[in-house]
Amino acid sequence: MDFTGDKKALQKIKDLGNSIVDDIHSGRPPTFKTVSRSRGNIIFDGKYDYLRLGEKTETRKFLSVASARRFMQTMAISGKIKKFIEENLHTSIRGLYYQLKFSLGEDLDEEIFSEQSESNSLVEDLEVALGSKREDFHLTTDRKGVLAGPITIRDTFGGEETIIDGAKQGRSGWMIPSDVDNGMEFVDVTADYVLVVEKDALWQRLNEDGFWKKENMILITPKGQSSRGTRRILRKLADAGLPIYVMVDCDAWGWYIYWTIKTGSMNLAYLGKDFTVPEAKFIGVTMQDIETYEFLDRLTIHAKDVDLKRAREMLGYPWINKHREWVRELKTVLRTKKKLEQDALQGERLTFVGEYIREKLEKKDFLP
Amino acid sequence: MTNKQIDHFKEHSVAEFFKKNRQMLGFSGKVRSMTTIVHEYITNSLDAAEEAHILPEIYVAIDEIDKSLGHYRITVKDNGPGIPEKHIGKALGMMLAGTKFHRYIQQRGQQGIGAAGCTMYALLTSGQPVKAISESNGKRNEYVIKIDFKTNNPVVDKLSESVSETHGLVVIAEFKDLKYEKGNRGPYEYLRRTVLVNPHAKITILEPDGNITVFPRSTNEIPKKPREARPHPLGIATHDLLELVKAKAVKYKKLSLLLQNELSRVSAAKVKDIAQHIPEINLNMRPENFSWEDSEKIARTFKRLKWIAPPTDVVIPIGRDNILNAFRTLFNPEFLSVIERPPKVYKGGVPFIVEVGIAYGGDITRLGKQGEIMRFANRVPLLFDAGGCTLTETLKTMEWKRYSLKKFEEEPIIVLVNLSSVYIPYTSAGKQAIAGEEDINLEIKNAVMEAARTIKRYLSGKKSEREIEYKKKAILRYVNELSFDLEVITGNNKDRLKEELMKIVESKYTLVSHKKKEEQKTLVDDVSVDNKKKMDKHKQGE
Repeated sequence: MDFTGDKKALQKIKDLGNSIVDDIHSGRPPTFKTVSRSRGNIIFDGKYDYLRLGEKTETRKFLSVASARRFMQTMAISGKIKKFIEENLHTSIRGLYYQLKFSLGEDLDEEIFSEQSESNSLVEDLEVALGSKREDFHLTTDRKGVLAGPITIRDTFGGEETIIDGAKQGRSGWMIPSDVDNGMEFVDVTADYVLVVEKDALWQRLNEDGFWKKENMILITPKGQSSRGTRRILRKLADAGLPIYVMVDCDAWGWYIYWTIKTGSMNLAYLGKDFTVPEAKFIGVTMQDIETYEFLDRLTIHAKDVDLKRAREMLGYPWINKHREWVRELKTVLRTKKKLEQDALQGERLTFVGEYIREKLEKKDFLP
Repeated sequence: MTNKQIDHFKEHSVAEFFKKNRQMLGFSGKVRSMTTIVHEYITNSLDAAEEAHILPEIYVAIDEIDKSLGHYRITVKDNGPGIPEKHIGKALGMMLAGTKFHRYIQQRGQQGIGAAGCTMYALLTSGQPVKAISESNGKRNEYVIKIDFKTNNPVVDKLSESVSETHGLVVIAEFKDLKYEKGNRGPYEYLRRTVLVNPHAKITILEPDGNITVFPRSTNEIPKKPREARPHPLGIATHDLLELVKAKAVKYKKLSLLLQNELSRVSAAKVKDIAQHIPEINLNMRPENFSWEDSEKIARTFKRLKWIAPPTDVVIPIGRDNILNAFRTLFNPEFLSVIERPPKVYKGGVPFIVEVGIAYGGDITRLGKQGEIMRFANRVPLLFDAGGCTLTETLKTMEWKRYSLKKFEEEPIIVLVNLSSVYIPYTSAGKQAIAGEEDINLEIKNAVMEAARTIKRYLSGKKSEREIEYKKKAILRYVNELSFDLEVITGNNKDRLKEELMKIVESKYTLVSHKKKEEQKTLVDDVSVDNKKKMDKHKQGE
């Protein structure tokens, strides 16, 4: 994927339009090519350790009942995106959907888009077809992640330049925007490492303790699954040379959050390398912790079916089962049918979490 | 009927016997009894008219007298030759008096029990004798007819006699224990189907609710009269042979001569073959002395010998054109395929012909008929006992899905199957279901598949044509918007883009649609030509 930004995306849209116009002028049925997003074309890149799309391509055809509507919709989206970029205005996918939710004609009982879900998948399609990302299309996504720590960022937006100091964001932290590339650059990064905690509650706990200040680190919570902006900023921080540590629950959801950050997921494989951090390490919580910290033993809860199912699935993924440590961890879960939440670390005393993290980092007690 | 039963008739009275066994005549159930009565009268009317070379025109009226008692008056009026006075009693007041019994000929009924059976039923249920008005030979005679159950003799009272310039028969009878149903087993459907396979007939029905329906004639061609056949040795069972020999005994001094003259394909050489197989029987015996045991042995020996197949020209089909016309007149279907197969022989000795018609859409859709199987034997509609009938069974094994008919029971389709034969193997005396004979089943299956193939071609052609039109429309509706968007993206003129795009879409879909149409037309024609050739060949072979 290319990150020269929105101007490049604009050119790609024009190129796509021109190739289709060429087809029409020559009397050929209009088509365009894109990389297949089907399961069969999702591969694990062993060299860089992440999930990406393979080489299989698909041809999108206008002269096919199955795809005529989608073809038209893709072009309608492209036309709108061209305007957004040219006018330097941003909107959400929902905004785009409303821009295009109008009738195809007086005599036709059909709208260009009737549901937002249609436009969502077409935007993904276009990202893949053009090799651009939606942020370059001036399409924003919901912001979700929160950051605090010793980092300064220059944000050029709406014609103004702002310097953001990650160490001066008080109790709320800095909310990571959906686009951290266009008009945004790191000025100074003095932190030693990055810690991602799954839950906002834990982030607030550590922020209150001034943990990031004491540790000289950047504390991030994606508040569950990471948004695109969060994943991009993690990639950029890793590129800036910072180790990335992740701390999530020991359950299906927690593992999914970790592996999405690290390798990407099947569903998001189309985003590719620039949204993954293969260097990331898993701090915890782990089944091993129950042995190390005895008090945790009574704080486990029963694993649900979904957790066990997920554990079994993960054991089947080559990018996971190549790690001995993960195989042992998942097998323990399957054997004991237990799970552990990161909040359990506060079970003895509220400040224990900090000690836990320090100890883990000192001992380099991670899962890969 | 078994030999024992026949003997039984002779000991007691035939009328007494049937009085006790009325279900054997089709008088079981109120709906079925009603249809049986209409069937018996109609059959007689059709037979009589054909015999006299008259195009039948029949009027049936069903009046409800008291619904709670199932009390109805049934009137059947025909334009046939009428019945001369000396025969009227036998025709309407004597069981088994008809000429149909013991005859090896393709005919509507196989037992001459019909109209007299109705008289019996009238007497048993309403107590009323049957009224008949016959016009023939310049006279109009009005009678009241009863049966003396003890002696099986008709009791005829002549009410009046006058001059007449026309001919025909009116029968008026009252019955109880009946029920009028408009559904698929009632007189209305019975008559419609009768006209479907007797397209030379015109039948009018007046229903109890006052509705009058005319089922019109679609051909002026009176069907060829079937020739009486001599039974083939392979198609004759012990009791048939015994009956035959008894019936013809007076004409012959030697059994061997009787066999040679009254059976088909039995030569002097064959008689010698038979004698070698069963030396214990003297084939030169007097026919009067022929016993059940003799009959059993000879019938068994017949099965062991090789025989030339019987002549098949004794079986007369309705005819493809007649069925086509009748379907068009009665159902005006959207598509029609009728298959007439060459004659075949079952059990090695009984000739038969299977005809199959499949009609789809048109009035069938309008009438709400779905997946309807219409069974016929020698042009008589079979409305009851469908479950036990080999025609139904054979059709059930059809995989309609393979013929573009997704759910047979839900399609607007009628499948007609007519079996014509000198001897129809009914499962019971009710004569509503045909017993399974491998040769017959195979013929039905082949005929239905042949017809189904043509309908498949039609349906898939129709489907693809519709599909192409649908596809074209589905795509054309996006042309305007796509052209507009491409102008936004590239700056090219949207009107020009639109025009060019329309051309691309039109040329792709029109071309295919045209091609399909041509192809389909040829296919359907090929089939009918093929079929015609086959039939011609068969006719030449005769």
